[in-house]
Amino acid sequence: MTALSAPAPAARPRLTGWLLRLHRPALYVWTALVLLTAALLLLLHGPMADAAAESWRRYDACGFDTTCAYGQSAILRYKDWYNYATLAAALVPFLTAAWAGGALLGKELESGTARLSWTQSSTPVRWLAVRLAAPAVLVTAGTGLLAWLHYLAWTAGRGRIDSAKDWYDIGTFHTSGPVLVALSLAGLAAGALAGLLWRRTLPALASGLLLTAVIWGVHLELLPHLWPTLGRSGHGYVASPSGSWTVSHGGNAARYHVTYHPYAHYWPLQLTATAVLLTVTALLTVGCFVVLRRLTGKAATR
Amino acid sequence: MTDTAIAASALGKRFGRRGGWALRDCTFRLPAGRVCAVVGPNGAGKSTLLALAAGLLGATEGELTVLGTTPAGARARIGYVAQDKPLYPQLTVAETLRMGADLNPGHWDAAAAERITAAGDLDPKSRVRALSGGQRTRVALALALGKRPELLLLDEPMADLDPLARHELMGVLMVQAAQHGTTIAMSSHVVAELEDSCDHLLLIGGGRVRLAGEIDDLLTAHARVAVPADTDLAPHTVVESRTTGRQLSALVRPAGPLPDDWHAATPSLEELVLAHLRNPEAPVLTPAEEAVA
Repeated sequence: MTALSAPAPAARPRLTGWLLRLHRPALYVWTALVLLTAALLLLLHGPMADAAAESWRRYDACGFDTTCAYGQSAILRYKDWYNYATLAAALVPFLTAAWAGGALLGKELESGTARLSWTQSSTPVRWLAVRLAAPAVLVTAGTGLLAWLHYLAWTAGRGRIDSAKDWYDIGTFHTSGPVLVALSLAGLAAGALAGLLWRRTLPALASGLLLTAVIWGVHLELLPHLWPTLGRSGHGYVASPSGSWTVSHGGNAARYHVTYHPYAHYWPLQLTATAVLLTVTALLTVGCFVVLRRLTGKAATR
Repeated sequence: MTDTAIAASALGKRFGRRGGWALRDCTFRLPAGRVCAVVGPNGAGKSTLLALAAGLLGATEGELTVLGTTPAGARARIGYVAQDKPLYPQLTVAETLRMGADLNPGHWDAAAAERITAAGDLDPKSRVRALSGGQRTRVALALALGKRPELLLLDEPMADLDPLARHELMGVLMVQAAQHGTTIAMSSHVVAELEDSCDHLLLIGGGRVRLAGEIDDLLTAHARVAVPADTDLAPHTVVESRTTGRQLSALVRPAGPLPDDWHAATPSLEELVLAHLRNPEAPVLTPAEEAVA
């Protein structure tokens, strides 16, 4: 056994392993959040949706009989827990942003441990790349699973449970497809940028959250216009078809028109919104590296 | 391998586009194998200079060569300990050293690093967050020395150590320098702290290099004289002079032999440093630079 304990001179510094070690509590919390929400979504998809659907079937069978027992509690249970699951999934982009801004980068830059890492044998650029890539993989895996299960839980109720959410419900739309993944990645990049800009934990945490909220808000404004709407017009009041998302309506008694997205636009809207959000994420990521380069000069890359 | 550890020419660093210059027009050369004291008052630019040499900051202007290449190119061969000894508080001492091994593959000396922590009676299983300031310094030094650096940059390394630990860790550094030929540059605003251990001096004041060279050369290039008040000190360069009654005490750079009745004496390092800091208009002296040129 010689004094040199390292295996081979060409071995690469193992940054990812140590990143996971340093943020082990966050990793545990993330795993727990994903597993619990996933379990809840599986329950919603299976037994809870079935029970609520059965209650709705009995309710419809009851007709006008007010004394008829149809099991309202199953309906309410499905509705409540569905909302909790949606909320948990919808909060992920914000949780990611707060963590990335505060714990992942703000704290390291504030306490100087970033400099400690930069004076080991790998470059600041690689340091940042690992700090963005590893969480991005975990966030993608976790939110991907949640979005898929949420979509299943929602479709399990669609058409069977009268109180199930519409496809264009803000919570449901944003947690039942790749949009959730893209929003979470945008939150990660926004938090990281805030951390690099502030180099302090609390301001970075707060502005990471704020930036993510702004992205979310602008995205909500743009969402209906990301795919061409259908339109109807005519004399008197014209309604959009049942189950479609009314984007605009107006006019006068002579001519009334309405624009809407039918359910068929669900995936086109999901995919274009995802593409837009991923572009924003890419820009924020480039911003992160630009700021890092400004911090460390030309030294960043070599 | 190069015989110059750090060479700076017209080096300058400004923070922000409109910020003040933390360091400006710095030209000096630190030969390899030296133990160099980077001395100057608080806010003089010592930390900025060490961070530039460590590749943590980009220079705004000028050239900086470290171990024959750019600071970033020499990253794997440089050990650096920042002033506040940042470490990950959630890791144990043993984990911190293991991280050093993993992040510096190919040139990690686990035995050397463990020797330093063991000498401080540090429990490898205790968390960094539970350590005292001195113990943290020890772990930070172990992390820097475990890297087997050719150049060790230490920013105020001894500031939060008790005299005993200071003496012992200084001993560790001296052994490192002697055994491995490691060049050490350490900053301090307490000159006395470095006087015994360093053989090279870099005095920084107001963001500029005031003195740079071998301490012995610098001391012999100056003389403390005591003469009657009406004596003309020319042609010698006067760094500082003070008149008390009919007596004139001065620190001069002799241009030639001094008259015997001037009572010339070699100044102490502290006197030399203080005289230059009190008199910013005193001309810069960098003997090593002149010798090279």
